[in-house]
Amino acid sequence: MKLPRKWLEEYVDFNVTNEQFVEKMMWRGFEIAEVIDEMPGVSNVVVCEIKSMDKHPNADKLKVCQVDIGEEELLQIVTAATNVFVGAQVPVALDGAHLADGMEIKKTKMRGEASFGMFCGSEELGISEADYKGAGNDGVLILNEKHPNGQKIQEALGLDSVIFDIELTPNRADCQSIIGICREAAAALGQKFKEPEIKKIEGVGNVDDYASVTILNEELCPRYTARVVTDLKIEESPDWLKKKLRSVGMRPINNIVDITNLVLVEYGHPMHAFDLACIDGKKIVVRNAIEGEKVTTLDGKEREVTPDMLLIADAKKGVGIAGVMGGENSEITENTKAVLFESAVFKGSNIRQTTRKLHHVTDAAARFIKGVEPVNAQVALDRAIELVDMLHAGNVIGGTIDVCYANTDKKIINVDWNHVNNITSLELTPEQMVEMLETINIHSKVDGEYLKVEVPHYRVDIEDGIESDWDIAEEIARIYGYYNIKPTLMQGDTLCGKLGENFRDEDDIKDFMVSMGAYEMYNYNFTGPQELDALLIDKDSEKRQNVKILNPFGEEQSLMRTTLVSGMLKSLALNLNKKTGHGRFFELANVHFDNNDTLPEERKMLGIIYSGQNEDFFTMKGSIEQLLNYLGIKGYRFNVGGSEYLQPGQKAVITLGDDVIGEMGTVHPKVLKSFDVPQKAFYAELSFKMLVEHRDMHKTYKAIPKYPVVPRDIAVVVDNDVQSQTLVDVISSTKANGVIIEDVRLFDVYRGIGIPSGMKSMAYSFTLRAEDRTLTDDEIKNAMNSIIKSLKYKANAELRS
Amino acid sequence: MIEKLEQIRLEALEKLQQAKEEAEIDEIMGSVLGKKGKLTEILKTMGTLDKEKRAALGQASNAVKKELEEKIAQSKAKVAEAMLERKFAQEAIDVTEPGKQVLPVGRLHPMTQTYRQIRDALVGMGFTTFEGPEVELDDFNFTKLNLPPDHPARDMQDTFYINDKVVLRTHTSPVEARALMELKPPFRLVIPGRVFRVDEVDATHSPVFMQMEGLVVDKNITLADLKGTIDTFVHAVFGDEVKTRFRPSYFPFTEPSAEVDISCTICGGKGCRVCKNTGWIEILGCGITNPHEIENCGLDPKEWKAFAFGIGVDRVANLKYGITDIRLLYDNDARFLKQF
Repeated sequence: MKLPRKWLEEYVDFNVTNEQFVEKMMWRGFEIAEVIDEMPGVSNVVVCEIKSMDKHPNADKLKVCQVDIGEEELLQIVTAATNVFVGAQVPVALDGAHLADGMEIKKTKMRGEASFGMFCGSEELGISEADYKGAGNDGVLILNEKHPNGQKIQEALGLDSVIFDIELTPNRADCQSIIGICREAAAALGQKFKEPEIKKIEGVGNVDDYASVTILNEELCPRYTARVVTDLKIEESPDWLKKKLRSVGMRPINNIVDITNLVLVEYGHPMHAFDLACIDGKKIVVRNAIEGEKVTTLDGKEREVTPDMLLIADAKKGVGIAGVMGGENSEITENTKAVLFESAVFKGSNIRQTTRKLHHVTDAAARFIKGVEPVNAQVALDRAIELVDMLHAGNVIGGTIDVCYANTDKKIINVDWNHVNNITSLELTPEQMVEMLETINIHSKVDGEYLKVEVPHYRVDIEDGIESDWDIAEEIARIYGYYNIKPTLMQGDTLCGKLGENFRDEDDIKDFMVSMGAYEMYNYNFTGPQELDALLIDKDSEKRQNVKILNPFGEEQSLMRTTLVSGMLKSLALNLNKKTGHGRFFELANVHFDNNDTLPEERKMLGIIYSGQNEDFFTMKGSIEQLLNYLGIKGYRFNVGGSEYLQPGQKAVITLGDDVIGEMGTVHPKVLKSFDVPQKAFYAELSFKMLVEHRDMHKTYKAIPKYPVVPRDIAVVVDNDVQSQTLVDVISSTKANGVIIEDVRLFDVYRGIGIPSGMKSMAYSFTLRAEDRTLTDDEIKNAMNSIIKSLKYKANAELRS
Repeated sequence: MIEKLEQIRLEALEKLQQAKEEAEIDEIMGSVLGKKGKLTEILKTMGTLDKEKRAALGQASNAVKKELEEKIAQSKAKVAEAMLERKFAQEAIDVTEPGKQVLPVGRLHPMTQTYRQIRDALVGMGFTTFEGPEVELDDFNFTKLNLPPDHPARDMQDTFYINDKVVLRTHTSPVEARALMELKPPFRLVIPGRVFRVDEVDATHSPVFMQMEGLVVDKNITLADLKGTIDTFVHAVFGDEVKTRFRPSYFPFTEPSAEVDISCTICGGKGCRVCKNTGWIEILGCGITNPHEIENCGLDPKEWKAFAFGIGVDRVANLKYGITDIRLLYDNDARFLKQF
């Protein structure tokens, strides 16, 4: 919302600096994003009077001028301008000046003669005829009136003001208008707002002879007001009007269009003007579009409209899409003789849907979406007709068409003033509240425990309902000043703050991964079909049950990921290709599966990726084992298997009983290639839910063994396809007369000389101990014999000789 | 005999003086005190002497023996010390060579670090963590929060849609609605999580980012309590010297609403590029929970008051660490991550 300070000054006494105004408005809830100069970019340009003008000694086309800039000595300026003369006052850019196009002026020598600046034309100053009379001429700008020499050019041209660019919050639709925002600005400046009075133009004749209006959908169009003007004189608007429109960034077109635009700017109510000659049957019908109907709008585009859209039609055809854009068939042209001004209320939510469907939002539509109100529709129409009269643009016909289903009664709400104090933590008397509300033109009176508040018609954000107390509390807090409210700490029951269990587990798992030397990643949640293909994921895999986004950035970001692997591979590729020197990463984040329920299944997963010279399947496996041990998870197994993006023969599914904790493995070389990963990588994905579910949180102290442990090794020869886990299970489960066998670990695998082909030697270390005694040599010997026997019996493993 | 004894003593002492190795000392010891040692030889002759002389010689030789034994022990200690020094000299290393780092040092993402800092400050104030789904019902994300379908303020948050009932949540606020419906008040919650908006990626926008929501529900909650709570945790996160500023604003789910600025952490409030020369940086939105939301979730707004605030964790992390491009948070470049 652009608010020119000059425009504001028509309504209030601007007695503060721009900075102070910005701050005062901020405390009222109006953020001013930018204070824009009327002559943006121009600095150090002043008025000078040309005292003498001589021919340049070395150049025919140049002149050497001596100019007065209000200082003791005259300044020499060399110019090529042809329209300057002795005695003329012109703008001169001094050394170090900046011009509208960003150019910087420096003193210079022109063909041997010093020049301490440059005369400026309107282009250099960024102004046009609308800003200053004569600015449309070529050459240097000759000032029309006498000004003190040395005066800033902005002051001389009357363009020394600023435009405030205000960011409005969506609740204050009323402030999307000069009148509305000035009302608030006056209050912010502590002044009474002088509401402009609109002269009611009676007109002659009877509007009913010219047109009629029927509303067929009163829900979508609760009010439609219109007046007719005949004997139109379509012409350019006067300068003051054009200037005003330009100052808020609007392009003047002709007096009729400019009038509706000015009313839009001043009162925030969109209007439309129809050429009455083009309205068949002199009838305006507000109705829903018919299936297959088409309307060609003012921008020349033929648009297909659907039955949920509201049209302005005449007896035969659509003449506009209500609240969005008028039709080309009833557009105001130079030949228009009679016009119907429409000022109506259309339902914002419907307009919002229409603009979404048509992919077209106009200024008018934006206002309707934000919300307009029925009383203002009438005010806007009156203002437009006043302007028609003022501009002598035509003959105003008597009477107003007003089809109104909306409630335009005064809205009185009851507000519990004690409650307002409770919400705001203030201790105001109801009388103080009345006084405060009065400063923003809200009249109210005390009625016992309540304030009877008369809500101004334009304050559609103040509700009659449960929200009323809060609405008024907000106004009171805003007027009182948020900065005046003293912070307090919460009263009431002291609550015990804590981390929820999942949060604690999340912290622990992340901290553990950090202790493994991994960096934490955050990848986007999006993926796409090509990426799934690149991961070699089967067509019927669960990982293809992606949640689909209706309005994605593109195909490749159209799905929610079902695995963390793609994002992590991409980030790994970046790190390897940029040689960042780190190859261990993890991410703990959600993946989503569309399981045909209303909401998809959300699973939190821990992704781990390792890559580097010292990394292999077993460094990754080691980290996972350590993580599981750290969490106190016992009895997990690594079984052959895993997703398609892992290399066959080097992948494992991690299980615990019937539960799948996750999987890990070497990333498939084809996948590495697709993701531009230049070397081997190892990936694991574990279910956060499983880790948490199996985490041992009920630890109880067990006595540290009192009696010594006896370390022993054993090496056996087995068939190549015997898994280590089998042998570990056999050793650990051997029954040996109360001897505890623990910490069974593979420490060597050997194939080669001395071992038959197709066989391998597996060497294990373990410890033996008893709970209640030191083991004797005999007991140790017997235990070893038992182990050797069960290895042979259960795993066909021969002791290596 | 006494003279001979003295001679043995002096000779031994001199040799000990010069001894460099333990073996030398042992040899000296043997040659004097051993079975065939010189002193032993003398003692062997004692039997041939008369009583007086025997006593005198015995005394003298014992004294010498004792002295020599002491000296031998001293020499041995000295030699051992010297050997150790030689060993140290041989084993001296270049302490400036790099250490062996068996495992690299891992890092938590700066966003996680920032999130934990804010969260821990709030937990200290009696807040408990809570969470909800990332793919969320439109009803929770908007309607229950006083944003019915086609409410203009829905345009404040460009939304990814899954279908007309399901969205990628645009903020953590839907979890407020879930908490209000699930939990028994009073409660104080801190709700972190990823949120999604249709924002093309650039230096200040990301379609995925992290938010934290605070929600307090109790009987007598006021705007002043909200101010006090936010002041406290801002100071915990940014330091006591940071100032806060509450500006009136608008959110559909709160009323009165405020935006909170902190004095610029980069320039200290003097004005710089980051704060666009205002000295202030916006860090969060907050307010007294709108009674419609309380009512929509099944509580009586006259009985139960609430306040809520929403913080962009990305934004706070960027401010804390002086990160100027949000994309860095999602690139996962180790050269970036290792700085935190």
